[in-house]
Amino acid sequence: MPELVQQFDSARDVTAAAQRVRERALERELTPAQVIAMLERWGESLRGPTVDAIPGVTFLRLWLRRGTLEPMVVRELGVAGLNGEWHEEHSTRLRAYPLGVVGHWPAGNIEIQPWLSLSCALLGGNACLVRVPAGLTVQTRALIEKFSEVAGSGALLERICLASFAHERADLQRAMAAAVDGAMVWGGAEAVTEIRALPFPPWARLAVFGPRLSVAAMDGASWSEGAQRQTWCRRLARDVWQFDQQACSSPQALFLERCTTGDLPAFATMLAEAFEAENRLHPRASIHPALTSAICLARASWLITDSAHRALFPATPDWTLLLGAGAAVPSPTQGRTLSVLLVDDLREPIARFDGMVQTLGLAVSDPAKEAALTHAAGRTGVDRIVKLGRMHLFGSPWDGADLVRPMVRLVRHSPANTD
Amino acid sequence: MSALAAEVEKQIDALLAAPTFSLEPAVQQARLLRVLQTELTYAAERNERLRQYLDAWPTDYRTAASLADLPYLPVGAFKASPPLLLTATENIIRTLASSATTGQTPSRVALDSPTSRRMVKGVVVIASDFIGSRRRPYLVIDTAETLAGGGELGARAAAIQGLRPFATEMACCLSGDGAREPRIDEARLAAFAARWGAVEVLAYGFTYVIWQHFVQPLRERGLRLQLPNIRVLHSGGWKRLQEQAVTREAFAAGVAEVFGCSADRVLDFYGMVENVGVIYPDCAFGHKHVPAFAAVIVRDPLTLRPVAEGQRGLVQVCSVLPTSFPGFLVLTDDIAEVIRYDGCACGRRGISFRFVKRVPHAEVRGCGNIETLRQRPVAA
Repeated sequence: MPELVQQFDSARDVTAAAQRVRERALERELTPAQVIAMLERWGESLRGPTVDAIPGVTFLRLWLRRGTLEPMVVRELGVAGLNGEWHEEHSTRLRAYPLGVVGHWPAGNIEIQPWLSLSCALLGGNACLVRVPAGLTVQTRALIEKFSEVAGSGALLERICLASFAHERADLQRAMAAAVDGAMVWGGAEAVTEIRALPFPPWARLAVFGPRLSVAAMDGASWSEGAQRQTWCRRLARDVWQFDQQACSSPQALFLERCTTGDLPAFATMLAEAFEAENRLHPRASIHPALTSAICLARASWLITDSAHRALFPATPDWTLLLGAGAAVPSPTQGRTLSVLLVDDLREPIARFDGMVQTLGLAVSDPAKEAALTHAAGRTGVDRIVKLGRMHLFGSPWDGADLVRPMVRLVRHSPANTD
Repeated sequence: MSALAAEVEKQIDALLAAPTFSLEPAVQQARLLRVLQTELTYAAERNERLRQYLDAWPTDYRTAASLADLPYLPVGAFKASPPLLLTATENIIRTLASSATTGQTPSRVALDSPTSRRMVKGVVVIASDFIGSRRRPYLVIDTAETLAGGGELGARAAAIQGLRPFATEMACCLSGDGAREPRIDEARLAAFAARWGAVEVLAYGFTYVIWQHFVQPLRERGLRLQLPNIRVLHSGGWKRLQEQAVTREAFAAGVAEVFGCSADRVLDFYGMVENVGVIYPDCAFGHKHVPAFAAVIVRDPLTLRPVAEGQRGLVQVCSVLPTSFPGFLVLTDDIAEVIRYDGCACGRRGISFRFVKRVPHAEVRGCGNIETLRQRPVAA
């Protein structure tokens, strides 16, 4: 089997790879419906020892289902777009065409992100050149090996190039940017800024998904009463555990609305139990020492800063609850470190959100109140307001932007024989 | 002085008076545990914020069965402002600051007289075991300005001062005012070398200062000193030299070359202001050892439990010396490898370890390109 993640060492290699996938894509058109069929078969094949342990692979299987992708394409490109057909609009017609080659710069800390990014551009009919982050090479190779085993996947595979080269190789980064017609960029502020500054062609379109963070919020009834609160705790634990709390959709803080029946220590104990249970189910296999240091420092700093602060944590770095009060979104620590903050009114923290907050996970018992909070959050920059437990459900729009449409061109045809 | 304070003082002095590197490890650990438990009780009485931290710890330090179960502070906690204190501000005679790089906040630890006294004694008993206790001429490979810190002393100055008890006289061989790069004071250096020649002398400098501002300029000019009996101590870390691809062996060879001595007279030690009074020089086998009044625990980053021999992890330093700040149990941002838990061929008892590297700073970036966080951890 040829090496599916290619090691590049020269700008010429990168340029040639881009040209190769461009030619393959031009040789054979694939409609979104055809791409969906192939991706679905691939998703179904993602089982077995080499892929089961990859964080997020269960989610990737769900993402690649027709039931997920088809509605997204229909919403963004219309029914005609799903089948690669023209859509009549008054006296003209419109049809989505691929940009050409889309370059992908996924983040290095989400194992399945190269595939989430890639699939969006493939749905638009594009060829793809993906820079695989060094830490994700093994997982990415395991996933594409499965893809290569799927019958009929060749037409899609030949328009994908997975490239591996050091982040520091500015010459290769520049070559990659110069060879693409569009880019999907995911990363922290530093990475995003660096990539934006690369010499893309003037016509290239960039979809940039920069650094964001997410928070959760519960109204008084949800955290203080009944058996339901235990369910909320389990859902929240799941949201914290997925992607090791490093995704932009991972909750970093939980705001609790004060209420007369609320008992914070009791709730914190219940949440700690949920965290402990989730940790038993999904223990870490490894951790970077810097994250361990950061977790230890977060615990100490929280407690020695304010005598009103409390914290719950085990002797291991597995999880941490920092308990206190306040409406400001604290600086995230990650590593399953959740700040649990009491507020008088959930509108207080929401009013202080800025564009940094991507997702608000809600547990609110009153639909009218939820609607009001959703509206307030939307106005202050939040792009996703979802039920607690569903904070990571990747879908379109993401970060407030479509996922397929930015990587296609809507071509207008005004027939010559019309008035 | 309260009864508890008196008890703490007594227990610390007993450990300081114990044989520095020859206590049976189990005995030493048991004695250390008892003293540190007393010190934590003492600290909790004096600092409400610290008490809160100790109370939140998953195990009760008062009933802990081993040193590894005691609550430790991460080294970053010493960057807190105001600094963590266990004494009234009027008792503070000096503040030590770590050598933070540009843009970083330095750690600050406040010393009262008893802590300062113990700090000096700690360094003396450790260093004596490696270089002997005799006083000798002391060549400081730094500028006099570095030492002029007033009430606040930087890490370089603290290390220089820590070795002063070994000096009959002291000479700084670099000049500079802080605004410009330090330069060798050739006249002073030549006079020192001419005067002491074959006499046993002591030299100390920060590792990168010695290399960058002393060895390299002397080499470039082809100058060699004739100080064959010099003992050159250095500390401060290898990061800057690693960036220049200078190995430990190349460093020692370069230093030996300019001093006209053998490379085994160049001694690296590890130390930090938060662990003031304890230094960790390399033994003849290149391993670091811990004195009777201190301990080192190397913790697995995944579990925070002590690692086995041959494994790497985060270094926790423990010391009974400070009573003016809570520097008893400090989790550092350094990675070390445990060589053995006892039985180093040099004869020193207890843990022997090797410093590996500083933990790289990890930036929180959401779905950021933090590739290093997905690489294999250093712990085997």
